Amino acid sequence: MKREHQDTVHGGRGGGGWYGMAAEIEHEKGKGTMGAGTEDGDVDELLAALGYKVRSSDMADVAQKLEQLEMAMGSSAAANDDALLSHLAADTVHYNPSDLSTWVDNILSELNAPPPPLLPPPHLTAPAPAALDHHQHHLDLSPSAAEQSTITTVDLPTVPRRTPANAYDLKPLPALPAAAGRITYGSDPQSEVAPSPRDRKRMKISNLPSSSSSTTDAATSASSTLPVVVVDSQEAGIRLVHALLACAEAVQQENLKAADTLVKQISMLATSQGGAMRKVAGYFAEALARRIYRPHPRGGVGCSFDSVAFDDMLHMHFYESCPYLKFAHFTANQAILEAFAGCRRVHVVDFGMRQGLQWPALLQALALRPGGPPSFRLTGIGPPQPDNSDALQEVGWKLAQLAETIRVDFRYRGFVAASLADLESYMLLGKDSDDCSAEGEDEEPEAVAVNSVLELHRLLARPGAIEKVLGTVRAVRPRIVTVVEQEANHNGGAFQERFTEALHYYSTMFDSLEGGASADNAGGRDQAMSEVYLGRQICNVVACEGTERTERHETLDQWRGRMSGAGFEPVAIGSNAFKQASMLLALFSGGDGYRVEEKDGCLTLGWHTRPLIATSAWRVAAAAAGDPISSTAR
Amino acid sequence: MSSAYEQPLLLQQRGREAEEEETLAAITDNADLMAEVLGRLDGRSLAAAGCVCRLWAAVSRRESVWEAVCGQHVAGGAAAGAQARPVVAALGGYRRLYRLCLGPALDRLGAGGWPAARLSLSLSLSLFSIECYERRLGRERGHPLPASLLFLGHGNPVDVS
Repeated sequence: MKREHQDTVHGGRGGGGWYGMAAEIEHEKGKGTMGAGTEDGDVDELLAALGYKVRSSDMADVAQKLEQLEMAMGSSAAANDDALLSHLAADTVHYNPSDLSTWVDNILSELNAPPPPLLPPPHLTAPAPAALDHHQHHLDLSPSAAEQSTITTVDLPTVPRRTPANAYDLKPLPALPAAAGRITYGSDPQSEVAPSPRDRKRMKISNLPSSSSSTTDAATSASSTLPVVVVDSQEAGIRLVHALLACAEAVQQENLKAADTLVKQISMLATSQGGAMRKVAGYFAEALARRIYRPHPRGGVGCSFDSVAFDDMLHMHFYESCPYLKFAHFTANQAILEAFAGCRRVHVVDFGMRQGLQWPALLQALALRPGGPPSFRLTGIGPPQPDNSDALQEVGWKLAQLAETIRVDFRYRGFVAASLADLESYMLLGKDSDDCSAEGEDEEPEAVAVNSVLELHRLLARPGAIEKVLGTVRAVRPRIVTVVEQEANHNGGAFQERFTEALHYYSTMFDSLEGGASADNAGGRDQAMSEVYLGRQICNVVACEGTERTERHETLDQWRGRMSGAGFEPVAIGSNAFKQASMLLALFSGGDGYRVEEKDGCLTLGWHTRPLIATSAWRVAAAAAGDPISSTAR
Repeated sequence: MSSAYEQPLLLQQRGREAEEEETLAAITDNADLMAEVLGRLDGRSLAAAGCVCRLWAAVSRRESVWEAVCGQHVAGGAAAGAQARPVVAALGGYRRLYRLCLGPALDRLGAGGWPAARLSLSLSLSLFSIECYERRLGRERGHPLPASLLFLGHGNPVDVS
């Protein structure tokens, strides 16, 4: 779709800004004529009936830009609001809305270059050949200079891009006066006519004719600190990442104004991306915005609150849409199964009971083990539920039903605890009141396993909590402790460092989600919910501090240090688990990207080269144990 | 109680049986023999065989046949099977196990590359038990079918419970 120079509407004004080339030209190389507008061809009839003149070929483009406009207006909150609106209100004479595409472009250009103070119009017009070369180098122009003749002066080719989302220019510091101006189509000859950097950015590189390069040059010279902007989506992606990192730095330096502008830029840039990157950028931008505007969220606004049921629901969707949690469950279960070999009475303590999805498989495996199933006791820990305090018991009940059908002797106990640090060992060890078979210290002591899937890192938010919990765990004398945690360091002291780490981690996570989604409805919903689930983690890592920041992930090595320090020694997870995990991953449709790796006896699951989740197993260190229970061979 | 109506039928049957004794007994008409044979097929072929005629359809629905099919992938053989039988039956049966878990898993994993086929059975059993559990969870809350097996590529799961 070629958009030829239109603006017959604006014919008389300011030289008539014209736009519309590059993306279209690219498709129709031959027709270079950017002469006077030949606007008339195939105007959309329906809109024409309403009084709008939009060429049918431009419809998609105009629609996109209207979207961007909406977003831009929506996001230009706080700082620019009044100025923007008053500006828009005042200068209506510039724009003729019947030519929708031009009008939208104009408004967009207004929005992106914040409204005046009027600049002395920079010397637009000198297309120095040297500069041209420079730009050609930068912008990788194709030598198609023939196509556009007029340009040198005022008119800015604001080339709307074909591809979804123009990438907007990055203005690192808002202080720059009106970003070297903007286009005002028509009227005010004295208003600045320097090309808006945004418009430069919109130009598709390969088709930039010499003329536009001159304008970019001019703009650049007018505001030398503005980077030369290039427009394709990949560049925009790099810009996006830079913007994110720059914003984090600004936040760390408490330069909130800069950070604020950057956040807006990020939102704009994010639209130029597709898929995973767009979503990740969106979540990070939102989290940054929260951090900037609400430095001390009360009650963890949107970060870590919300009903437990909602949380569980998200967790369930995350479980279903990607293999991380399944991997965690399978590998932990395998370790527990092996630890329980030969024991007739077993007890599992689950630090994060939720829906109990880990346990059916273990029950089944115990039922089928050679020698028959043991007598199985499960203690489930869960957070307090404001509305429905029965969820924990309900889960236990369902598991009991399942256990009954497969003939495994099953007992369950649920504990509600706001934090794991509230637990004491006697609670976990205590016998049920209805455990009436007088087993004081009985025929066979219980073998205990403690299981924690993505729960321990929350304890790092309060000093002393993790030590207390690990002490409690030791006091319970478990045969095995299975720990599954995210493989990332999101607990660094410096905000910027944390941010960067989190950006890499969650980008990889989102990439893996993109890979694995199944086409049908439920799959799409699962993926969307998983993204929300991850988004909440992102928000917590970035926007919260202190005790509210509960997503304090640490790497496997860091956890190794903690566990060893607390008196545990590692237990190697066997090759059986590795094989099962690999097979499980092979079953996933997006499975090519997943990698199971073994690292010093621990298993990690990652996407391509980046491990994302790690399972490790521990037991009480021999020196400290000294009790007959753990002397039974494992 | 042979009514007047049935008499002629009985006579006809006897006549036919007489004929049959002269011909070779058709293996394909003997349900138990068919069960033995069909139990050696792979899942897809077995399902196809069930479309041939009523007898074959009935045979191909037998749990024991599907147990044999699943057992093709178990190194342990009969012993493991005997122990597993009540568990699998309680979770939903071998036919369902194959249809929901083992079959798709085998398809996914393809022919080669996965030595210990026994592992795929244990993996399938795990997934199967999770599915059974989720069904119970879901039923209470009126949820749609459990999605935990969707990753195996079922498309829209058909509820055959």
